[in-house]
Amino acid sequence: MKIMLLYGTETGNAEMLAEDIMAELEGEHEVECRNLSDFEPAEFDAGRLHMIVCSTYGDGELPASAQPFAEALKAAAPSLSDIHFAIFGLGDSEYEETFNFGSKGLAELLMSYGAVQVGERVTHDASGSDMAEDLAFPWAAGIVALAGEKIGEAA
Amino acid sequence: MSRAVAIVGSGPSGCYLAQALLKADPQLRVDILDRLPVPYGLVRYGVAADHQGTKAVIRQFERLFERQGAGFIGNVVVGEDVSLDELRQAYDAVVLAAGLSGDRALGIPGEHLEGVHRAGHLTRALYEHPDAEPLPELGRHVVIMGNGNVAIDLLRLLAKTPAELAGSDLGAGPTAWLEGSGIETIDIIGRSPAADAKFDAVMIKELAKLEGVTIDVVGAGASDEEEGAKKIAALDAIHGHKTGGRRVTFRFGLTPIRLEGDGGRIDEAVFRNVDGETVSLPCSAFITAIGFEAAGGLPRDELVGSAAEPELGVLADGLYATGWFRRGPRGTIPDNRADAQLLAARILADLEASDTGPEKPGRHAFPQWTAAVCYDDWKRIDAAETASPPQDRCRVKIPSREAMLALARQTKEPDL
Repeated sequence: MKIMLLYGTETGNAEMLAEDIMAELEGEHEVECRNLSDFEPAEFDAGRLHMIVCSTYGDGELPASAQPFAEALKAAAPSLSDIHFAIFGLGDSEYEETFNFGSKGLAELLMSYGAVQVGERVTHDASGSDMAEDLAFPWAAGIVALAGEKIGEAA
Repeated sequence: MSRAVAIVGSGPSGCYLAQALLKADPQLRVDILDRLPVPYGLVRYGVAADHQGTKAVIRQFERLFERQGAGFIGNVVVGEDVSLDELRQAYDAVVLAAGLSGDRALGIPGEHLEGVHRAGHLTRALYEHPDAEPLPELGRHVVIMGNGNVAIDLLRLLAKTPAELAGSDLGAGPTAWLEGSGIETIDIIGRSPAADAKFDAVMIKELAKLEGVTIDVVGAGASDEEEGAKKIAALDAIHGHKTGGRRVTFRFGLTPIRLEGDGGRIDEAVFRNVDGETVSLPCSAFITAIGFEAAGGLPRDELVGSAAEPELGVLADGLYATGWFRRGPRGTIPDNRADAQLLAARILADLEASDTGPEKPGRHAFPQWTAAVCYDDWKRIDAAETASPPQDRCRVKIPSREAMLALARQTKEPDL
């Protein structure tokens, strides 16, 4: 499967996780990994699965590298009804009111333009005891299996 | 031929810089020096003990040493064990990322009274920095002067009940100190109006979780400007929060003019308000949290003051600065990451453009660094700290340099 792995990061933690996911997947799949700050909404591709790793920063905001992308998406307001994406969130439950709002906000934004979410949004808690990759690798494997059917159907 | 870069300071700025350099050019030889035997600087000793999520960036830095090939050279003090000039001769580029470890002073009468403390001194003691002084007796009425995130960290820690520190890495000594503090009131004072306070709104929101306090916000005012309005909304939301008897009061627009006390010990702080009136607050301790400045062996102000390109951090040919050392005490961990990434690009371009003379020896120029601590040595210290913490702690920091060094040297052959 062709996978576009995108990350929105502020401190680099989401970037590191995205690189780890890429290393997990690239043996069997064609994976490209990119910072959301270097990705244009016009580059969404119906033939690919878009996997996004996105943190949260400040008061529940999108991380810095996802903000220009979100602005560009709002400005372009494209129809994404043939686009499949899955999203993994990084957050810190120390800030419980806005825990993982970054990934939540980005998922909602994509869906508001018709993009189809594959699987559940899974989130990691920096104040918890799990390692992010211990949640993200099974998530990624599950998403790839699910998306295989969906992207196959759509094509 | 591979180029050698020395980074002075293993805090977030230095580590992010090394990360960006090695990502772009994995062949570079990058050494990160630190005056302490342990790495990560402010992530270990400045980020609050109860903000473990913020410390998660350490996993990136571990990778830097474990996979990207950066070297850690701890327990080496630039300016004492090696001069800056000697470093510059041995490496193609030297980057100063030593932060700012001195507390800025208020400069008002009475600042040297007993009971007047500086935030950096206090947080180093709380977080068990090996050079920290003992934790002081604060008494029942504490005033915190300052409205930055450091002031809010101190307020939150002083206000917490022991149960609220679960999951932190606050040590047994500081925990017992907090538990026995007997603090009844904490007043936190901003010189500016609330709208211009330097703290992040999210730091204020977090206070709504405190389990043993009554919070009053006096005179937060209003703001037409977005950032200011956010801060005021956060303050308004915690005003009246009541879960216990310890009183926390936010006050704004108060300029400290003098500190008073009988017998050499502070008992009153005197301020001027925006109307020019004098306001007095009785207190048993007065903590200044008004920013940081250079301290230690490097002539920072001189070096940065004469920088060739201060905005980028180019001090001179082959000499650079990043993070707080360059910019001053403003900006969070991500700001320092962005700063370091920009500087890394510049250093790589400079290395590319410069003549390739004979290969620089890097660390091999310094066989006298026999007491240096390498990354594997640190991992032994780290393992000892995380081996068996109490159930409600994630780590037990080793507080003394001697104990750190003893662990670091455990499996080494004696140097003869």
